[in-house]
Amino acid sequence: MTIDQFNQQAKVVLNQFAADLTGGQIDQTRYFGKKGLFTQLAKQIQQLPSEKRGQAGKLLNQIKRDLTKNIAATAPLNQATQQSIDFSLPGNKPKVGHLHPITQAINQISRIFERIGFIRVRYPEVDWDWYVFESLNMPPNHPARDEWETFFIDRPDTTGNVAYDPKQLTKRHPKMIDGGKLVLTTHTSNGQVREMERLGKPPIRMINIARCYRRQQDATHTQMFHQFEGLVIDKGITIQHLKGTLDYFAKEFYGPKAKSRIRPFHFRFTEPSFEVDFSCHICHGTGFVNGQKCKLCKSGWHEVGGAGMVHPNVLKAGGIDPDQYTGFAFGWGVERTYTLREGLNIDDIRHFYNNKVKFLEQF
Amino acid sequence: MNILIPHHWLLEHLETKATPEQIRKQLSLAGPSVERIQEKEGETVYDIEVTTNRVDSMSVRGIAREAAVILDHAKIPAQLKPLHLMKFSQLQPTTTQLLPLPKISHQLAAVKRITTVVLSQIKPTATPEWMAKRLRQIDQNVHWAAIDITNYVTHELGHPCHAFDYDKMMNLGGKIIIDIAKKNESFTTLDGERYTTVGGEVIFRAQDGTIIDLPAIKGTLNTAVDQNTKNILFWIENLDAKKVRFSSMTHDIRTVAAELNERNVDPHLAEPTFSFALKLYQQIIGAKIASNLYDYFPHPQSMKTITVPLAVFQRYLGFSLDQKIIISILTKLGCKVTQEKQQLLISPPTYRQDLAIPVDFVEEVARIYGYHNIPNKIMGGTLPLKRPDDAYFDLEEKIKNFLSLVGLQEVYTYSLVSEKQALKSGYQLKDHLKLANPLTEDKVYLRRSLLPSLNQVIAENPTSTDLELFEVAKIYRPTGQETQLPQEQMKLAFSFRSNYRRARGIIEGLLDYLFVEDYQFITNKNNTQAEIIAFKKQKHHSLGIINASNITLPASSIGLINAELDLNSLSQVAQSQPHYQPLAKTMPLIEDLTFEIAKNTKIGDLIAAIKQTSPLIHQVELKDVYQQRYSFRLTYLDPQNNLAAPDIMPIRQKIVHRVKQRFPAELVGKV
Repeated sequence: MTIDQFNQQAKVVLNQFAADLTGGQIDQTRYFGKKGLFTQLAKQIQQLPSEKRGQAGKLLNQIKRDLTKNIAATAPLNQATQQSIDFSLPGNKPKVGHLHPITQAINQISRIFERIGFIRVRYPEVDWDWYVFESLNMPPNHPARDEWETFFIDRPDTTGNVAYDPKQLTKRHPKMIDGGKLVLTTHTSNGQVREMERLGKPPIRMINIARCYRRQQDATHTQMFHQFEGLVIDKGITIQHLKGTLDYFAKEFYGPKAKSRIRPFHFRFTEPSFEVDFSCHICHGTGFVNGQKCKLCKSGWHEVGGAGMVHPNVLKAGGIDPDQYTGFAFGWGVERTYTLREGLNIDDIRHFYNNKVKFLEQF
Repeated sequence: MNILIPHHWLLEHLETKATPEQIRKQLSLAGPSVERIQEKEGETVYDIEVTTNRVDSMSVRGIAREAAVILDHAKIPAQLKPLHLMKFSQLQPTTTQLLPLPKISHQLAAVKRITTVVLSQIKPTATPEWMAKRLRQIDQNVHWAAIDITNYVTHELGHPCHAFDYDKMMNLGGKIIIDIAKKNESFTTLDGERYTTVGGEVIFRAQDGTIIDLPAIKGTLNTAVDQNTKNILFWIENLDAKKVRFSSMTHDIRTVAAELNERNVDPHLAEPTFSFALKLYQQIIGAKIASNLYDYFPHPQSMKTITVPLAVFQRYLGFSLDQKIIISILTKLGCKVTQEKQQLLISPPTYRQDLAIPVDFVEEVARIYGYHNIPNKIMGGTLPLKRPDDAYFDLEEKIKNFLSLVGLQEVYTYSLVSEKQALKSGYQLKDHLKLANPLTEDKVYLRRSLLPSLNQVIAENPTSTDLELFEVAKIYRPTGQETQLPQEQMKLAFSFRSNYRRARGIIEGLLDYLFVEDYQFITNKNNTQAEIIAFKKQKHHSLGIINASNITLPASSIGLINAELDLNSLSQVAQSQPHYQPLAKTMPLIEDLTFEIAKNTKIGDLIAAIKQTSPLIHQVELKDVYQQRYSFRLTYLDPQNNLAAPDIMPIRQKIVHRVKQRFPAELVGKV
């Protein structure tokens, strides 16, 4: 054996040791036991020419010192073995990125509804007019559609091929007609009839969270936004269940003191229809803070979205018998729901999509 | 629709001592929502949102009618005051100098009612201050009395009405033909705007065919009342709502009249509105009724009767509400109710066209009874278990969490992009879905790739020099089939302002984290990109592409690493747990080898060559790079026997030989 070969073998042991070090505590016997790696290396010295043994011995001593010291350091932290530490030193933080606030909101919302048996689904964002409006009891050209500020896809409209008949809604189903109008979904409610079709029959407990699009843009509206839609259909579903679910969500999402309430409203696809309010976290629904009008809500409540009992025509459009089943649905903006949380008084929802790093890094 | 109602105007129809704050609260809880209370010219003005189905509430009287029932039920005394207006049967000319009515021809089924009378002795009278003030309070312009009276009565009682200049009308031939417009006819509205018909609009024509009104929407200039008007033809029409909406939307003429008429305003409302206007014309201007009343009302709406089983109330409310309460609420709302065993026969008033099916009455009863009086309860019953096949939300969440924790920033960018951005995807414009009615130029096409948007974010944050971004979102692919929806595919895209090794390392780390067992980055021939391919059960799945791009900043140009992975493909190879391998009973041996490698050598190929040298080479990692020197860490493992240094000597020699033969590469040091 030459001294070079001996050195090469020593290097193998040291590399092995370096690798072991990354794995935490090292057993002494792995190196110094009877068949230990160091012990075996040390035995090789006998095969060297005698004039080289002194050089090899020095190297072995050096390696032994290093191994012993480093093996001790891998033992569980023991104050006695630690050298003095400067506890005033700043930490060396790992680089951590951030989930977008909308993702954080969606995760929390999903979890809350999944706990009471809702199944999350995903449906098209570019969908037939039929699912977005018509099956939801909104005939073509109905004034109720005005509020939706709809984007249309540039392509021929063939919806007119079958005449609209409110009693035979399914006759105009896209499967029956040649395509039809394509729209960007203005709300997640296109998932309602789609979910009825997917499951075939109740029970249905759906939560549909998706990007939506409307033709408007200002401090409180972006052309793209997110909604979440709940749909429950079964035998014996009443307004009490809708109210119970809304209140459960309010308390889970905003804290145990939060309250919800419903007020009359009108949507074509629910009857009765409601507007949903959550109590303000600043004044807890009273509208007053220390005798002064609450500056955040001005009335004690924040309007967050719409809800209602599924209209019999919508059940029919989804192939469900309205004489047997009832259901409720609700749909709100994710951005608005999220910014009503304590400490998130974001005055301009465009921040969510401008992607300024200074904004995103806060979440 | 919103309507402004001054408090004192409301009190002319509502007997109550309720404060504005009480009215706001109670109305919002059980009826139309009072969005805010304003102070205007020293008075409280309510800004009320009326839902689209309740055109009957779009007036001072309509709101008063709702408020009377709601306040009373909330135990705040309130009562709707009776209207003291002349009935049509009592209406007589008030002058002996009678003027002939124009001849009216109405062959159309779209005409539901026409009521008109001639008023003479019209003088250019200023609008009295009390009326002007109220019009200002409801944000309406003040002109002069002859015009403002029409706006005032519409706001107070809810039916639109119109005043024609009688003499202009008679000079055009004295005939009003109600007709459907042909294409390309022109007319000018009373504010001087010129329009051309598209065909299908309901219009009024003079004898010679000239259009003399866009009824139920806006008057035309050729018959408009002006300062010289001597006689007025006061007029109310009620037309088919769909026809009104068609004309109004087609020409984008959105007037108060159009908004009411397109929502089926009750034709019975024509009578009080008409009588009230005549009263004001006489009082304010001193006008005389100079003709007999013309009232064409072929089909007065009779009250329809709807059968509502009592059980339906319990079905929606979840509890049994006393029948007396149900009947009392419906009666207060103007319905006629009779009970027949276990069902109610309900006839709603003509102004409540929205009450048509049993559940509509549930809503009426429930809101007045008070939604807050209904208990909260979570439903029991069977849970649905069938999940959608292609939804993989757990995978998405896992990916996002991993990436954010290893230092990447998640962004949400718009699905809609500009023409320029669309082209950066590498697809032609014709292969994109395009909006028919975009709002802004920067959002016209539905994107085919997330990368141009991500790179844009990097360009917009030039001072963040270590930015690494990702987004999970859909791309949209037209199928070219008329009857098929576009394809929507979930993508995971990256844009890195860091080097290739870091970028690739993140993706490799992610794939390991998702227990993707076998994957490769395969470089293309031109060496411009690598395809990420995973193997599972002998099938290969293309996950996506990693490549480089440049963006130009004002001061410089920077290179980026981009990657776009298909989430559906990833879901095919990702696993929720690994395939457990029993722990090796033998110890690995580890050594480092450093090679001096010529430029432009594909290091990946070199690593593969090393690895293929012997089955005992368990792993080859690139550990360090210094100039052209690359250090590799080799792990040798024999699952059967513990390896000793002499065992690996021949392998090492083979490696060095092989590398030297195949690549321009030389080992640093001796074997």
